[in-house]
Amino acid sequence: MNSRLIKYIILEIIAIIIAIFWLIPLYSMLINGFKTNFEATATPVLFPPKVFTISSYITVWGEMKRPLINSIIIAIPVAFISTIFGEMAAYFFYVTSERMPAVSNTGFSIISLATFIPYQATLLPLIELEASWGLFNSYQGLIFALLIFYMPTAALLMSIFIPVIPKYLIEAARIDKASDWTVFWKVVFPLTIPGFLATMIFVFIESWNNFFMPLVLTSSPSLRLIPVAERAFTGGYGTLYNDSYAAAVIASIVPLVVFIILGRYFIKGLAALGGGAKGV
Amino acid sequence: MVKVKVKDLTKIFKKGKNIVVANDKISLEVDDGATFGILGESGGGKTTLLRQIAGLEIPTDGYIYFDEKVVSAPNKIIVEPENRNISLVFQNWALYPNMTIYDNIAFPLKNIKMPKSEIDKRVTEISETLNIKQVLKHYPREVSGGQMQRAALARALVKNPKLLLLDEPFSNLDAQIRDSARALVRKIQKELSLTTIIVSHDPADIFSIAEDAGVIVRGKFVQIGNVSELYNNPISETVSKLLGDINTVEGEVKEKAIVIGNLAIPFDKKIDLTEVKVGIRPEDMRISQAEIIKNYVNIGKVKVKVSSYSAGIFKLIVSPISDESIEFSVNSETHIRSGIEAFLFIRPEKMKLFDSNGNRIM
Amino acid sequence: MAIPTLFFSGVLLYLVAWNIYLSFLNWSLVSRIPKFVGFGTYSYLLHQYFFKIGAMHSAIFSLGLIAIGNPLGIFLAGILYFLPNKFRTLMVSIFLYPLAISMATNGLIWTWLFNLHLGVDYALRLIHLPTIPWLTTPTTTIGALFLVEIWAYTGLAVLFYLASFMGVDKSIIEAARIDKAGGFKILFKILIPNSMNGFIVSTALLFLFSFRLFSLPYVIGGGPTNLNLMTLVTYLYYLFYSEFFSASAATSVIVTVVATAVIIPYALYGIKRWIRRE
Repeated sequence: MNSRLIKYIILEIIAIIIAIFWLIPLYSMLINGFKTNFEATATPVLFPPKVFTISSYITVWGEMKRPLINSIIIAIPVAFISTIFGEMAAYFFYVTSERMPAVSNTGFSIISLATFIPYQATLLPLIELEASWGLFNSYQGLIFALLIFYMPTAALLMSIFIPVIPKYLIEAARIDKASDWTVFWKVVFPLTIPGFLATMIFVFIESWNNFFMPLVLTSSPSLRLIPVAERAFTGGYGTLYNDSYAAAVIASIVPLVVFIILGRYFIKGLAALGGGAKGV
Repeated sequence: MVKVKVKDLTKIFKKGKNIVVANDKISLEVDDGATFGILGESGGGKTTLLRQIAGLEIPTDGYIYFDEKVVSAPNKIIVEPENRNISLVFQNWALYPNMTIYDNIAFPLKNIKMPKSEIDKRVTEISETLNIKQVLKHYPREVSGGQMQRAALARALVKNPKLLLLDEPFSNLDAQIRDSARALVRKIQKELSLTTIIVSHDPADIFSIAEDAGVIVRGKFVQIGNVSELYNNPISETVSKLLGDINTVEGEVKEKAIVIGNLAIPFDKKIDLTEVKVGIRPEDMRISQAEIIKNYVNIGKVKVKVSSYSAGIFKLIVSPISDESIEFSVNSETHIRSGIEAFLFIRPEKMKLFDSNGNRIM
Repeated sequence: MAIPTLFFSGVLLYLVAWNIYLSFLNWSLVSRIPKFVGFGTYSYLLHQYFFKIGAMHSAIFSLGLIAIGNPLGIFLAGILYFLPNKFRTLMVSIFLYPLAISMATNGLIWTWLFNLHLGVDYALRLIHLPTIPWLTTPTTTIGALFLVEIWAYTGLAVLFYLASFMGVDKSIIEAARIDKAGGFKILFKILIPNSMNGFIVSTALLFLFSFRLFSLPYVIGGGPTNLNLMTLVTYLYYLFYSEFFSASAATSVIVTVVATAVIIPYALYGIKRWIRRE
């Protein structure tokens, strides 16, 4: 064994130890929902159940079913609409960047602002606006509010992914008399599908996990989304009971499964926010 | 077809604090059906000129006319590229990677809403001419470089453009198939008498395609003319080098001769300079053990330093026996071993003289 | 084509402008008919105890994350860089999974882990280490939230630094190896000096993500009124629900201005670097 190999092994061990620390919360969430209520309140959080039961899931499911469906009704259209229109805007900014740099720079700054602004800061006018348009406490109102922030987010991400297409392809298409619409659907869109998926999955996970918007924009229990519904099972100040673990699992299962299956797209989206389209 | 006229065209790029004058008051005329070559070093502004003619860049100043009609004006595109009836073959061909070769060629026709049967007829016809019928169903990444280049050409020609623009169209091809590609372009251009402008850094492209050409150096046309005129009578050392291999060696002007080390080129004209640069192309020189060759002048003894071979010709590097730091590149019909000493011959009427700034004096 | 996005961006700008207008009024539970008071509401806010501690906590949580997240991100990215591809991808996913889960859920899980009897303290007791009174004293409550924040967001810094490291030309690294440079030397003399890009964006994004933390203090603190965890963002929510509308709007404006001061340079940097590729 040479010294380089030993160094690699040491690095791997350090990495694995840190990763185990990182995984502790996930692990404790997954195991505790399978405990009986007595065991959950009496045994350490880090210990696996002695008696394996799904009773808490059965209890929680009744109340989580509707919010789960609501979240699907909200998050899928938000992700899809945001990404399609966001990509169109990104394409517009891209083609105008040379002739009207002021327009595309302002546009890019505004979509960055909408992406990263603490959205809670729009609370009061947003509620006023939704109330006056009759959107408060409705599916449309939630979708509308999320689109305000996530359509610019999608436009921002797509503005980072689109420049990967060589400009000469778009120029060639123009010389071939393709309209903007044709260039977008026949050339730009097919060539940015990985970026499109990354953006859509990113927006989907973000809007699924958004706790604030449904908290302030809905009042009736039938419109509850998953993150808000889950909070009903917390019992305040760290009270332990098996139902809250099960609720947490049900709330996280969709984004977690998406993350496990399509995680590379989500990571690609995150990476784009920080390092351009090259990614890791 | 169309006649292209460019008048005092200027293009300035600002990149941060840097200001680059890519084109500086360029004027040029290409007659209907003619072919024109633009030659220059990379970064010299030739692609910028072509892109302005295509309408892809906005001129900073100056005008472009198609048949006396203004298409570009200062800071303004009057006729958008899609309405100029032009075709542009890009250096890397710009084939749409998500479409088959067939769809690539059909794309411009679909955009003008041509009926399907007509599109099919035209694509089949052009792909037969260009010998790519067998790859129509493939994607660009699945075909060879030569086929990609012909597909790009097919896409350019299928819509019957009035003006064909070629931007270094052969530079990404293997050397062996470049000549046949050039011949094909030339043949089609002639058959259609299609006005054509080609940009290249390779004089071989210009010689094979263009009748007239202009040489761009640092954004300006320094010489425009018939291609063989440019080759034989370059106005400067730079132009002479852009048009082909040439030896330029410093020599001392003495009475009745220009002296380079132990070599002496007979010269009896009066000039004011004591130092000149002698320019002579490899094909105008020979090397031999014999002391006399008809039509050539023996200028003295040299030693062969390197002997190599390319495209059917032996290439020699020789130095005057008195000074190894001076080098000439000479063509030879036979292989000569390095180390051998022999006589160097030149054709005196082909010799060009430049001053120390590289301007032609004779 | 850009119309839908411009429409929604326009709505956002409209909301921001509306906030600014509301912040100049004195609209609240006690003054139902609002009057224009100029900067009156702002000067009122600056004297509020809750505002001061909210601002302080926001500063601690965002600047603290930058101070810890950056070096930790460099450290972890430095380790991951030298690991084989597949393993590295897996590790990156592990560091990033907290971002795929709702912060509300993350807060929930951590409140169990902070349980004094059965959480991580149980494990600490088991190996005879001193226990920490997590959510029961003000200082440790802040520390606890800070820990969760580090856990949740450091993955971002790891990702950005790793991307910067991977962007360094491989042949330079190979040349350094041949010149017998060790891993540490490569990290400190080549990778880190060439990672200005990673530093800029990870600082900007760590700030922006932590500055808008809402769900974590809300869930861990058991609501918006926990004084130990009150940030500017939870404070503006608290003001809204206690019907101090203009004060809430003024806090929102302050939050927006601070965030914009980071977002605009980020956007200009992004345009230059990724869009124009200069």
